Amino acid sequence: MLSNEVALSGEALSKRYMLRAGGAQQLKAAVRTLPAMLLKREAHHSFWALQDISFTVRRGESFGIAGPNGSGKSTLLRVLGAVTKPTSGTLTTNGRVSTLLDLGAGFHPQITGRENALLNAVLLGLSLREAREVLPQIIEFSELGEFIDQPMRMYSSGMYVRLGFAVAVHVQPEILVLDEVLAVGDAEFQSKCFGHMQRLRESGVTVVFASHDLPSLQRYTDRMMLLEHGRTVLEGRPAEVIHSYLTRVFGPTAKAGAR
Amino acid sequence: MKLLRLLIEEEAPATLPYTTEARWPAITILPTRRTWELLYLLTLRDLKLRYQDTVFGLLWSLMKPLALGAVLYVALSQFVRLDVEDYQLVLLSALFPWVWFQTSALLATSSFAGNGALLKKVPFPRFVLPFSTILNSGFHFLLSIPVLIIVLAIDGRHPNATWIVGVPLLATVQLALLMGLILITASIDVYFRDLEHLVEVFLSLLFYVTPIFYPLSLVPEKWQPVLKLNPLTSLIEAWRDLFMNNQLPGLDLWPALLFTAGALVAGALTFRRLEPGFADAL
Repeated sequence: MLSNEVALSGEALSKRYMLRAGGAQQLKAAVRTLPAMLLKREAHHSFWALQDISFTVRRGESFGIAGPNGSGKSTLLRVLGAVTKPTSGTLTTNGRVSTLLDLGAGFHPQITGRENALLNAVLLGLSLREAREVLPQIIEFSELGEFIDQPMRMYSSGMYVRLGFAVAVHVQPEILVLDEVLAVGDAEFQSKCFGHMQRLRESGVTVVFASHDLPSLQRYTDRMMLLEHGRTVLEGRPAEVIHSYLTRVFGPTAKAGAR
Repeated sequence: MKLLRLLIEEEAPATLPYTTEARWPAITILPTRRTWELLYLLTLRDLKLRYQDTVFGLLWSLMKPLALGAVLYVALSQFVRLDVEDYQLVLLSALFPWVWFQTSALLATSSFAGNGALLKKVPFPRFVLPFSTILNSGFHFLLSIPVLIIVLAIDGRHPNATWIVGVPLLATVQLALLMGLILITASIDVYFRDLEHLVEVFLSLLFYVTPIFYPLSLVPEKWQPVLKLNPLTSLIEAWRDLFMNNQLPGLDLWPALLFTAGALVAGALTFRRLEPGFADAL
């Protein structure tokens, strides 16, 4: 249910990455930057992955992020998911955030899906008891059947996704942050995931997701933001943003297709 | 006016103060309950993983130090003819705690740098990674104590109640010492991977300047103060005293305690300063 309560807001978020010199320069770089970092000084080479991004997402809203490769989508999601700190700006979150930036980031191939699911659920924010309670639901959602007790190195990438997504949606997030992760699953599972996301949203969960899959973005988000070179280009209703994005990419000829 | 605004926009990101403090879970001074549970799960996982798919499994944790001990015993008591009473006990009672120290330091130093995928994708209290490695090696050390008891028993020595106090006490000191040191090395290792190799070299040198395969009493008077500067000296000697003579550590332990306190403070500070950049540096 959409409410006026703010679930997530960013104000003038910026992220600067330090560029590292490789090879022989590594020692020089380390000698130069380490004391600087320890003393909290500025380093030299850097580039801005995000610049001055501001947005507000209300509780229960589904917020999409689109943009070409290297536009800053993943960096923004990392900032939202508290994996990395913004260089400047303010991020305010109101509720438990569950981050699914990569499937199976916390999975270890040598242990079983069941063991991984439990560990992952705790990694993502549940207590051990909650994780144990919700484990049967995770397993059921993943539809992995008897494979759940096999080491994960036997899994296909689709099975990884299933378990990864199953864990992520069962950690009772209040804010779910997803990076392009559903693309690997088959159509049936994808639709199941979107269906589940829909239900989560109806129960008040806020969803932020980045994708290159424009039709899904259009279908499942209430509002979208278009990033380019680390800056917000456009924010608004999905149809408008996507239209403008396509126009930018393909030039006026895309629009001219209707001529 | 427009020019002015452009200028401000250009300058803005660099000058804005950092304000995101509301939710930054990675730095936690006081671990929550979940942190302990995570630590427990990770340690359990690594215990399973270390000797997975091997025939001898956990036995390797005993066989490796025992093999080293056997070689050292033969070489030093038979070839070099070191004249020390109950040399096998002198050797093993120090070797087991040393192996814990060495394997932890070796494995845990790369525990941040080697887990880039996880650090870049999942927010969680990061210090559980090196901590679980240290605990894991510590568990293997605890497993080796029964073996030590058997070796002691062959010689007619039997543990008494002092062990109930002594073992947890010394294990806690060693755990804290390792945690402090490794928070320093593992944090710096993220930015400077050569450190893993430096640590390896340093450990192999440390083995010779710590009274492990020789008792401190065998060292000439004039060198003893130098050796005592090594914080491990007092710790290893304390383990040996406990295992061989059922003696609780006393004031002699102060260099280790002092150094442990220093390492913990330095480790916490280093980690706190460097940790926010882990995901960006890996």
